[in-house]
Amino acid sequence: MSKITTSNFQKGTFIEFKSEPHQIVEFQFVNPGKGSAFVRTKLKSINSGKVQEFTFKSGEMVEEVPIAVHEMQYLYKSDKDFIFMDKLTYEQYTLNKSILGNFQKLIKTGEIYQILLHDNKAIGMRYPKKVKMLVTEADVGVKGNTVMGAKKLVIVETGLQIAVPLFIKKGDTISIDPETCEYVERLSQK
Amino acid sequence: MKTWQKLKKNPSLWQRYFVREKVIQAIREFFLKQHFHEVETPLLVSSVIPESYLEVFETHLLDRNRKKKRMFLTASPEASIKKLLVAGIGNCFEITKSFRNTETDSNLHNPEFTILEWYRVKATYEEIMADCERLLMFIYKKFRNPKPKDSHATINYQGKTIDLSVPWERISVPEALKKYSNVSFNEIAQQSNPMFPMELITRVARKKGYQVTDKNTWEEIFNQIYLNEIEPHLGTEGKPTIIYDYPRPLAALSKIKSSDVRLSERFEFYIAGLELGDCYTELTDYEEQKKRFAEEINTIRQKNKIAVSPDNDFLQTIKAGLPECSGIAVGIDRLVMLFADAANVTEILFFPLEDILK
Repeated sequence: MSKITTSNFQKGTFIEFKSEPHQIVEFQFVNPGKGSAFVRTKLKSINSGKVQEFTFKSGEMVEEVPIAVHEMQYLYKSDKDFIFMDKLTYEQYTLNKSILGNFQKLIKTGEIYQILLHDNKAIGMRYPKKVKMLVTEADVGVKGNTVMGAKKLVIVETGLQIAVPLFIKKGDTISIDPETCEYVERLSQK
Repeated sequence: MKTWQKLKKNPSLWQRYFVREKVIQAIREFFLKQHFHEVETPLLVSSVIPESYLEVFETHLLDRNRKKKRMFLTASPEASIKKLLVAGIGNCFEITKSFRNTETDSNLHNPEFTILEWYRVKATYEEIMADCERLLMFIYKKFRNPKPKDSHATINYQGKTIDLSVPWERISVPEALKKYSNVSFNEIAQQSNPMFPMELITRVARKKGYQVTDKNTWEEIFNQIYLNEIEPHLGTEGKPTIIYDYPRPLAALSKIKSSDVRLSERFEFYIAGLELGDCYTELTDYEEQKKRFAEEINTIRQKNKIAVSPDNDFLQTIKAGLPECSGIAVGIDRLVMLFADAANVTEILFFPLEDILK
């Protein structure tokens, strides 16, 4: 286990908090009136999925949780769990849906993902920067242009509804930002 | 995409940015109606009031022979306004820019920001508390045009509903410490010297599970407890909160309370979790001010921050006799965030730092 300070904090970093591994979901600096700098974080417990806020002193040291990254194939979903299989060992690992969050709408059966392990337990995923998706339905019904601007709704292969520019057609492949679940660009046309 | 590009693409966004001009107009009207003078003081100065928790912007003035003089950008107009108060200006206010270095990467801070300060002579922090209540109601009425019989003045901010009508919640720091942290002020402060020994607060903090090292100051330890346990409750339970009587180590330029010298006559007010203003009954005692200057300069050196030239002219001004007065600094960007329901300061600035840096 190595020690890091608040200046090493990044979104997604795993640290020990209250003796349990947590993931930094969000953080920002705050200065109270007439006070030094502090780092306000949102921490998600790996074990319970519970998110809590904690404000560290700037420069405070914490234990970084050691994690290993393994390539795994997504197999299927069972109730609240997503099941993956390690490509090398064929062992199966589970990620709870609370950990995947929005990515649940983007995950594809059979695809390879980078799964984070701690103590041989899956605790998270290193999300791809962009996700490639096939547009399966492109005429979902126009929902009022004044709200969305020059956009319309389409459905992609995972069932996700997403707002895209008007020129996107059924059969096109688009790129989606996994963090926001928003359209980025068209990759190829049918 | 930069803000100006977003505005060009989506003109409906302008409304959010126009909240600023409405807030500033309302503030001006509020003070001019009460015959306050509006003043304008320098942003470029050769010396500042040393404050160890701040980091300054430093620059150089070149004279005609290109001889360099170290200069600073003001973190607050306070020093200059106090000089005007000594000169006899009476009640006054200023709306200006202030600069605080290193305050990046935050939803609530921009290193260059807009500040409102107002000062009342022959007043203490209690009169300013009433000013805050009336000012916010005045701004609210300009925005909402409520019917005269409406006794409530509710706004929504990030899902929280707050009633701005008078009176606001008032709680002292010792009361808040007890109510939200279950710590009695006597557990961290003593009547006899040393009033704030490190062992007392360290013990309390460690018992609560906070890390304390020998490099941490009293202020850091206190503020960690404050930010984690007390602040989440301020101005978030239906009404704005005025939290007053801060411990002496956090007194800054405020007067010590005569009824309890461990406390200072300083308050902050919060609405919907946003810290909006910081006020003191102003310190008028020259010896005490001189002592605080020296302490701050020492702490700045210990923390390896930019060594500032202390404003000795300010000290002389206090010696010349600052009238009994009280003043407050309010974050105008934060007020705009409140009325625009914006979670991030970048959403209400035409040119937030991140745009300027790109």
